[in-house]
Amino acid sequence: MLGQNGYVACCDDSAGSGVEELAARRRLLKAAVLARPDRSGRAPAGDGAGPRSAAAGPPRVTAGTVVDASPHVLTICQADRTERLSLMPATSAWKGGPADPTALRTGDRVVVRLDPSRRGVADRIWANIGRVAGVIVERDRAGIVVDAGATRGRQVVIIPRRAEGRIQVRFPRLEPGYLIDIIGLRRGGVFEGLIPATSQPAYRADQVPWPSPVGSGPLSRLGGTATWHEPVGQPDDVEGIAYPMLDPDPGCGDQPSPYSGRVRMPYLCVGSRVDVRNDCTGESRLLLVTSCAAVARLFSDRCVTCGTSPRGRVADLALASFVTLGGELERGCFNATITIDR
Amino acid sequence: MTMHAITGVVIDIREVQAPVLAVMLLGACAAKLSRVLRAGSLDAALGPTALFPQAARRPTAIIVCACELALGAALLVTVPPAARDGTGALDGAAADGARIAATAFFLVAMCALIELRGRRPDVGCGCFGDLSTRPVGTRSIARSALLALAALASVGGPGLRLPAGGGGVLLLVIFCAEFLVIALLSPEAGAVLARLGRSEPCELRSVPAPRTLAALHRSSHWQRQASVVTSDVPTDLWRELCWRYVVYPGRLDGADADVVFAVQIKPRRPAIRSAVVLKEKPPTFPVETAAPETPAPETPAPETSPAETASREAGSRETASRETASREAGSSEPGSTETAGTSSTETASSDLPPGVAALNAMQKSNAL
Repeated sequence: MLGQNGYVACCDDSAGSGVEELAARRRLLKAAVLARPDRSGRAPAGDGAGPRSAAAGPPRVTAGTVVDASPHVLTICQADRTERLSLMPATSAWKGGPADPTALRTGDRVVVRLDPSRRGVADRIWANIGRVAGVIVERDRAGIVVDAGATRGRQVVIIPRRAEGRIQVRFPRLEPGYLIDIIGLRRGGVFEGLIPATSQPAYRADQVPWPSPVGSGPLSRLGGTATWHEPVGQPDDVEGIAYPMLDPDPGCGDQPSPYSGRVRMPYLCVGSRVDVRNDCTGESRLLLVTSCAAVARLFSDRCVTCGTSPRGRVADLALASFVTLGGELERGCFNATITIDR
Repeated sequence: MTMHAITGVVIDIREVQAPVLAVMLLGACAAKLSRVLRAGSLDAALGPTALFPQAARRPTAIIVCACELALGAALLVTVPPAARDGTGALDGAAADGARIAATAFFLVAMCALIELRGRRPDVGCGCFGDLSTRPVGTRSIARSALLALAALASVGGPGLRLPAGGGGVLLLVIFCAEFLVIALLSPEAGAVLARLGRSEPCELRSVPAPRTLAALHRSSHWQRQASVVTSDVPTDLWRELCWRYVVYPGRLDGADADVVFAVQIKPRRPAIRSAVVLKEKPPTFPVETAAPETPAPETPAPETSPAETASREAGSRETASRETASREAGSSEPGSTETAGTSSTETASSDLPPGVAALNAMQKSNAL
């Protein structure tokens, strides 16, 4: 399904996910049916002072399409408005590799991490960055066709000659049936794979090893790798987490494999809340589960951004959430600990 | 303790090494083979083979496995004094050869682990198949060094004789003590213990939705809410940790309502709860209207009548949303928590068709 995650047309996408409403409704019903009243016989008070809200604090990330780029000001168009961002000498950019912010062009799809200490100042900019993770379905001279799951469909990865060596080192088997996870540039609906996001698992996607026979700790707190994905059909600044272990029965059709993955994870649903902590920066955030991360279950890799994480992907974050938590998109992952909000 | 006794213990320690090493080698080989058989591919044999080019990994894995099998068997057959003394089918040179080869094998393994730790810190040693998934650490390397030392110590020793009386006990103690030391140096020991003693928690248990619906439809909660429920097709169904929630459309005192059931994830006699929640505009996240709790089926909640539920409709939205967590009327139990304790619960499969049909209908309506 080439181009599914192509450029976000300027000011024409005001799609709301509806996940927040669904989550709120489910939490209300869950509380109604499970709440234990206090001694007076009344239901307990709400947890307004409970865990940090997913929307707490000023936004750390913004995203949109560049409509004007000057050496000092970047103007981007979002779903329903335009935003002007100041560029400082310290502002860095990525556009297929480290680049100067002046390399940004009109029409570039950018994700901007804002300077936390100064309002409206860009700290780091990623332009046209994309990621394709999934099972290789086909390979020919034109590129590699990857099945990225039911939600993201099939995507075509083109590996330019300059990146071939780098990718071949980490992904020696670019053959049907094997897994791939590549970060690159999206140019007008074409994805150019440039950076291997991990090392290729030695097993085929249909031969994923069974889960580890033991849990290394309580099930409500899991350590592993957090990766990122591009939101489908939504703006890039939408937050959320794709969770690898949704209850399969109510229609989580995004499951290319019957294997339950390498990590023993409890079942959750769309609308559940998960606290994700970046073990490298210490930042944490309470996020809503917005979708199924079936492909993430197939990987049993470790992240070595800071130390060596436990094996397995425990969270596939929306692009904006990954950046908000201090992740660098071109690195592909950070060591994470997730805590299930009960 | 006399010098003679000390010498005897040292000899015993030396001669125990061969069977210990044989058990370790054969166990490692069996664990690797088990992993390969379960995965259906030699590619599952990771570990130090990750150091080699892709084309060489498969042959390397085969060679490692074959070496372990051959060395383990060789050590085992050369343990008896007959082989040691050259009075049996094998002579003493065969025994020493096997032990020297084992020494070399463990030394190479130790070097490979050091190299693996440096170049691929994310890869487990794979020494014992699925059990060796943790990254290579100091313990794994120390274990290889210890085994190499043990193999070296056994070279040139006499055959293992089983003395009468207390001597046999001493050998057994040495044997167990050495395995204890090896276990302490093995990251796999914890995995083995947990595999032996752990049962699957409910958060991980897979229970199909049709079975949940079947248990629900048999429960007295379902029968009691039958007058409120207006459709057999659920409008929402989700699972979170140890509970599955099913929502049906309903009507209470002329007002639209959601009838929500919570069914515990349990193969038999699942706890079931229910509540009627009057429909209202859904709150906007992140406003919290109700406190989620860790499910605690053991603690019953008091009942609230439907009339009480309806009377709260006029209240504030927050109050209504919390307090319309009504417990159904007519429950014979002090709380609304119910255990579907009839024997029919255990034969849920016979009721699957209605559950499947309802689930399919829900998915179809959602798709539309």
